[in-house]
Amino acid sequence: MRQKSRAFFILFSILFYGWTALSFSQERFRKNAPDPDPLPTLNLPEIETASLSNGLTLSVIKRENLPLITVRLVIFAGELHSPEEFPGTAAFAANMVLRRSVKHDSEEIEERVESIGGQFYASIFPDFVMFTFTFLEEFLDTGLEIISELILQPAFTSVEIASVKRLMFYDLLNKATDSEYIAKRQLDQILFINHPYSKSVYNEEVIKNLNERVLLPFFNTHYNPNHAWIFLTGNLSLGTASRKVSRYFQTWEKKNREIPALPSLIPNKKLKVCFVHKPEEKQATIFMGNILAPVSAVDIFPLLVINQVLGGTTTSRLFMNLRESKEYAYYAFSQLELFKACAVYLIRTRVRPEVTRAAVMETLGEMEKITKEKIPSFEIEQAKSYLIGNFPINIETHDTLSLKVAQIQAFQFGEALWDDYLENIMLIDSNRVFEAAQKYDFLSPVVVIVGDREILTEHLLEFEEVEVYDQKGVHLYTLTKETSDETR
Amino acid sequence: MLKKMTLFFGLVIFLVWGWARAQTEHRPPFPITQFTLDNGLQVILSEDYSLPLVSVVITYKVGAINEEAGKTGLAYLLENLMFQGSENIGRMQHISFIRRIGGTLNAATMEDKTIFYQTVPSNQLALVLWLESDRMKSLEINASNIQRTKIDLIEEIRHRKTTDPYLESSLLFDQYLFPDFAHSHPIFGQEEDLRELTVAEVKNFYSKFYCPNNAVLAICGHIDKRKTIELVRKYFGTIPKGEKVTPLPPVQLPEKEAIDRTYRDPIATLPAFYLGYRIAPAKSPDFYPLKIAEYILLRGKTSRLHQRLIKKGIAFRLEGGIEEKKGLAGFKVFVVSTNEIMKERSTKEVLTEITRLKTGLISEKEFGKAKNLFRIDYVHQYASCADRAIFLAENQLAQNALEKLGEELDKYLSVSTLQIASVMNKYFTPGRIFLDVKVR
Repeated sequence: MRQKSRAFFILFSILFYGWTALSFSQERFRKNAPDPDPLPTLNLPEIETASLSNGLTLSVIKRENLPLITVRLVIFAGELHSPEEFPGTAAFAANMVLRRSVKHDSEEIEERVESIGGQFYASIFPDFVMFTFTFLEEFLDTGLEIISELILQPAFTSVEIASVKRLMFYDLLNKATDSEYIAKRQLDQILFINHPYSKSVYNEEVIKNLNERVLLPFFNTHYNPNHAWIFLTGNLSLGTASRKVSRYFQTWEKKNREIPALPSLIPNKKLKVCFVHKPEEKQATIFMGNILAPVSAVDIFPLLVINQVLGGTTTSRLFMNLRESKEYAYYAFSQLELFKACAVYLIRTRVRPEVTRAAVMETLGEMEKITKEKIPSFEIEQAKSYLIGNFPINIETHDTLSLKVAQIQAFQFGEALWDDYLENIMLIDSNRVFEAAQKYDFLSPVVVIVGDREILTEHLLEFEEVEVYDQKGVHLYTLTKETSDETR
Repeated sequence: MLKKMTLFFGLVIFLVWGWARAQTEHRPPFPITQFTLDNGLQVILSEDYSLPLVSVVITYKVGAINEEAGKTGLAYLLENLMFQGSENIGRMQHISFIRRIGGTLNAATMEDKTIFYQTVPSNQLALVLWLESDRMKSLEINASNIQRTKIDLIEEIRHRKTTDPYLESSLLFDQYLFPDFAHSHPIFGQEEDLRELTVAEVKNFYSKFYCPNNAVLAICGHIDKRKTIELVRKYFGTIPKGEKVTPLPPVQLPEKEAIDRTYRDPIATLPAFYLGYRIAPAKSPDFYPLKIAEYILLRGKTSRLHQRLIKKGIAFRLEGGIEEKKGLAGFKVFVVSTNEIMKERSTKEVLTEITRLKTGLISEKEFGKAKNLFRIDYVHQYASCADRAIFLAENQLAQNALEKLGEELDKYLSVSTLQIASVMNKYFTPGRIFLDVKVR
């Protein structure tokens, strides 16, 4: 009996131990993050390019998984090409083109666009404008016919001019209710002062000056096939696309235009703090940035890594410091804006009013750290991991894919940012990043603060000097500790 | 004889081709594999090898509809708590893990479901399953996590209420259109309710609804099917099944009778109005023509109401369409005008267009346009891996047969003008709900 009990006890112990061990081993994998598998090869969508006899460049981006076509037409006539005395002309021309043709009025155009399930819009950049049209794939002919009609035979009637001007006016007025928009506009105004890019900074007042006499010469000079590029994304071959694009665009006449070379941009040399009053704004919106120029294609990659380390995501230094650690900010991010002639680094954050100066100083501290200390390898690798992993996500849909390809071509970055992108990112190390951080000026940004004067003035006085602007960008006065009473 | 044989052979080929074509057209345009784990977790896999990406979507069948009076905001609070850490993952680490590998993520609480989704490089699938399974199995719910989340949510409520001029009126309108508590209270909850929620209440809500038998997991992208099944079993297979969630009883709305109310908005600067009708819910045969009617009235710049109101300049803002609730649906129109006179005119124009549609007089061109716009919107529902995973998870949750998703699109596209006239007459009756928003 005793022997039986012992045997039973031993058997029970073995079973219990076995069960516990099994359960334990089953759940051990939950303790730590699993290792990733090897990364599958990224096979980029095939891009084929051809040129029509009139100089129009055509690229086909192959994408088979959806019954859609996205057409992007890039015209190299951006805000910088607007006449000196008429900023806003490039946007005005693009919006007018969208409206009507000689054959069809605006209602008929809208009807035709929506009949093929389409959406048609224009995006205006300093260097170029981009027309985007997405529709169901079986309507490729109709889609191309609509675009060609609008580009080749536009009708700039007085009714449409009035309507477009009204829409642009209210659109700008509406945007100006957003603190971030005000801050960015003020920052660009200061960074691009005396440069053709400054024409991309304007307010609703300039719309009044736009008219047919401004529009026609601009359109006739800049809307040429030899200064344009058309991208078709979808399930189609270069042969089909070439035939169809030729059919609808071959009568577009080639023209020569003389565009003076862009002057070089001069980065801001000394920290400058500016303030724009926005009534009833409870927080302080801060934009900081400076010009990085000239930026070579090889320098883009370390700069992308710097941006990622500094403020690319919620795991970057600025967010972790300003929001998570100091609890100053609702958000804090950085970004790198690319132009043909330069790049601009930009930091944006929204903070409690009482910590405005502290937030600016912390941000400057983070930037200084990047220029003074080598970024540890693990942080560099994390940033690279983000940039590599995020790249395919950014080209997943027809829309994002065609945008990426069109931007790369428009900025003439070529293969560096496409076929060679991953390799170029992988090659970046701490030393390369440190070199780039030394080469460009990260320590003398322009700082723009937008908020309510009543709430912020006492906190602005913590800065040595603050240039105060109105919302239209007019310099009103300079606020200093000594002059605060008189100047106000 | 030879001629007859050829004819017969030709006929057979034609029939087989026709049948095969019909089968192909009805199939969704992507592969689907479905299975259910022993603990009740429903899993959907769909491969797409265009890019080395994978999207993981987990949808829990819980939302504001499951909240009791006095406990509003509980579902939304829990969505936020899901990022505050679990047994093996620290606070906000879920976000860090995903962001560090270049992934994107988000979550959303709706009336009847809560969705968590992320897209990552496909070699990181195991990481996402590890993260998702850990918070399904052992979410960290404690007083400090809850308090921190409450503060954020209360701040959000206050911000929205003070900055969105038509928020209060839209909530009020929902109460008239869907007059039962479950369907009409705000998803973000009431501040006073959120404040009073206890740790025990949050824990109970989590254990009841955040369990495998109340969830659908959808994985789409560059995946090895066999390996993915193994990973799903490894990470989710041992999570214990929760108690069976009792389905909510069907809602009995009161008989249709006209409601006409006025609301004075303290922060709106322009007058507005809401007009609404209770209509047939999703999946009912009447829903398909109602959806196409929505496109004729409201979708795009050439839609009838856009032409009548915005183009003519009598309204400043026009929104609306069908709002699907669990087992219910409403058709809403929201219009902001520049002044009271224009608002009156806008109201008349909307009612006139509704009456006009009741005649079923729709040109072939207009009808084709509405269907093409619907089709492109339908296609956009699965444009990316994350879109597709959400699309599949939602359909699975709604108990729609996934293998017949292709037929769904056909049902919308085969709607006739006669059906439109019929549903317009049936649902757009004088028993409408109207809320007039006046400025102070």
